[in-house]
Amino acid sequence: MRVVIAEDLFLLREGLVRLLQAHDFEIVAAVGTAPELLAALIDTKPDVGIVDVRLPPTNTDDGLRAAIAARKQRPGLPVLVLSQYVEQLYARELLADQQGGVGYLLKDRVFNDEAFAAAIRTVAAGGTVLDPEVVQKLLLKHTSTSPVTRLSPRERQVLALMAEGRSNAAIGQRLHITDKAVSKHAAGIFTKLDLPLSDDDNRRVLAVLAYLES
Amino acid sequence: MAVAHRTRHDGVMPVSVYLPVLFLIVVGSYLAWFRLDGLSERIRTGRWGLLLPILAVIYAAVSIPRYWFGFMVVSGACLIMLFRPRTATRLVPYGLLGLGLIEVVVARKASYGSIMFAGFQPPYLVAGAGGPGLAWFEALLCLAAGGWLFLRLRAPGSGLAEQTAHRLWQTRTSGILRGQEFLLLLPIVILLGLVAVHGAPGVALDVGAIAAALVMAFRFRLWAATLAAAGLLVIGGCGLHWAVTLGYGPGRWYGLAALGDHTFAYAGLQGLFLIALGLWLTPRVIGEQLGLPGKELAARAEQLTVRVETLTQTRSDAVDTAAAELRRIERDLHDGAQARLVALGMSLRAAEKLFKTSPEAALALVSEAKESSSKALTELRDLVRGIYPPVLADRGLADAVRALALDTPLHTVVDIDLPGEVEMPVGSAVYFAVAEILANAAKHSGARTIRIHLSHASETLRVQVTDDGAGGADPEQGTGLKGVERRLATFDGILAVSSPPGGPTIVVIEVPCASSSLKTSSC
Repeated sequence: MRVVIAEDLFLLREGLVRLLQAHDFEIVAAVGTAPELLAALIDTKPDVGIVDVRLPPTNTDDGLRAAIAARKQRPGLPVLVLSQYVEQLYARELLADQQGGVGYLLKDRVFNDEAFAAAIRTVAAGGTVLDPEVVQKLLLKHTSTSPVTRLSPRERQVLALMAEGRSNAAIGQRLHITDKAVSKHAAGIFTKLDLPLSDDDNRRVLAVLAYLES
Repeated sequence: MAVAHRTRHDGVMPVSVYLPVLFLIVVGSYLAWFRLDGLSERIRTGRWGLLLPILAVIYAAVSIPRYWFGFMVVSGACLIMLFRPRTATRLVPYGLLGLGLIEVVVARKASYGSIMFAGFQPPYLVAGAGGPGLAWFEALLCLAAGGWLFLRLRAPGSGLAEQTAHRLWQTRTSGILRGQEFLLLLPIVILLGLVAVHGAPGVALDVGAIAAALVMAFRFRLWAATLAAAGLLVIGGCGLHWAVTLGYGPGRWYGLAALGDHTFAYAGLQGLFLIALGLWLTPRVIGEQLGLPGKELAARAEQLTVRVETLTQTRSDAVDTAAAELRRIERDLHDGAQARLVALGMSLRAAEKLFKTSPEAALALVSEAKESSSKALTELRDLVRGIYPPVLADRGLADAVRALALDTPLHTVVDIDLPGEVEMPVGSAVYFAVAEILANAAKHSGARTIRIHLSHASETLRVQVTDDGAGGADPEQGTGLKGVERRLATFDGILAVSSPPGGPTIVVIEVPCASSSLKTSSC
């Protein structure tokens, strides 16, 4: 799998390169600034881009902007955004095009290299992976107006794990229920959120988006 | 306006005959036309124009000894009034001002005892019995009424006059220079002209002196006021002296009183009045000349004192807050991340030792070390958020408030109207204020929906947070809002809470924030 990495701190960039190479990823470019990132994402046509939110030149959210700009030019281009902190605001912006292939994780998640590699593969495959910290904040939100309130507590749990990018099998394992039961809950979620019939991956993205906007 | 008819002059129709005739013509034609369609409306729109024929009658009586000429003037005025009411209205102020000037001439003549001129009797009260005092009174009345109508009816030229007056008024600065004392120079100059200058060139000299006094009064107010004070004392003194010694002889006038006859006491009174006015003005002028502080300066000084007290208080608060913040950060780092890094180093060192003898125990220690670093990161992240939230640094206040709203567990409606970016310290203070308010609402209010409105207008940054909760919040309780208030006070910002029992609770923050500090956002 061909990967572009954008990280301005040299040590972290090298660490990421080594970690991903160990998991059989092919690093086609490792860059340190937002303009270089945008060029690399467009020119080298990677399977997935791994992007630090804060990049030069302005050292604010240049990485995030570059990722969103690249996805405007190549809709659905998978990007996994890493950051020292997570904001629901940024998660919404990344998911706003409803294309999937989006990941948004804290940098700490790199420690668990296997889970991190799995998240990259989920994103590359068009899935959605949100950091548990973002999902945690979503769970705290109890508003009365959104369609998410129609979900049963069990369905909300399933949706939260879905947002973290877990497969049906992983969700079943976590909740101690069968795959079939997970599928049933997922179908219930899609119906209650009025999601159109389409492929499962896309519906999962839309469900997460509905969750974010609750 | 009463008319004197003491003297007849050959070839001149007596005023008492032609005036009533002319007046009848005016009234008759007015009544005749009044009922015609449209005309009544026209006359109503030009009400002041009705004065024009009356003025024409007076002109005819005053300046034209030939009755046919007077008749033409009056008839012309009547026709203008009836058919061109707006023009008539505009001519009235000029007519009045002209009358005023003529009466000034008459009054001056009267002051020097020669009330006959150009072969006819000026038909004023003063010319007969009243004396120059009444002539001056009439002159001033006509000039004042003419001037007022000139501005009121927006006669041609009034705009220019107003602009000029406005420009001159604008040059006022402070102290005595903001008052109107300097205008006292004008009567002094006029009185001086009356007392000192005789004969025909007197009028020209008067006009010149008044013009010079006007220029001086408006351009060099302090010196105008100084001269006025000196003039008041000198002329007042002269009046007193003349009244006592009767040195000026009969037929001479001092202000409104004839000298030498039985009214000399009036001259004395006028002199005393002028001296009193001079004594009132003198200390003010001296104070201003020497730069002593006046009332205005004292008030300003008081304002500044209050401001300095406020600044001292808020600065001391700001310093205390900053010190407490640094202390908290130091403690958090010391007890949190630093301690975890020490533990992490120790775990790794122990793992290093155990690596050969007991690889499994070493693995457990490495795992523990990884956990430790993860926790240290979480703590550092929370610490950074408390110092300067990354989203505020990345995106500015508007998006930072949006992010806050998203992180609030309640339903939020955000309405932001911020055309640029506020300065970093102000943005930070407002961000933490909103965070505190939202946290309070989520914790205590029992609200379902929170509305946040952020706007910038008239150099003020304003945030209003409204929740539909139970109300009854007391800002005096709890240190959170107090701290917010202190932090905002550093920027002259205020926080107001309205929370009646039963709700809703409205919290408003306002921070003065000049538009110059609003930079165009880079996004």
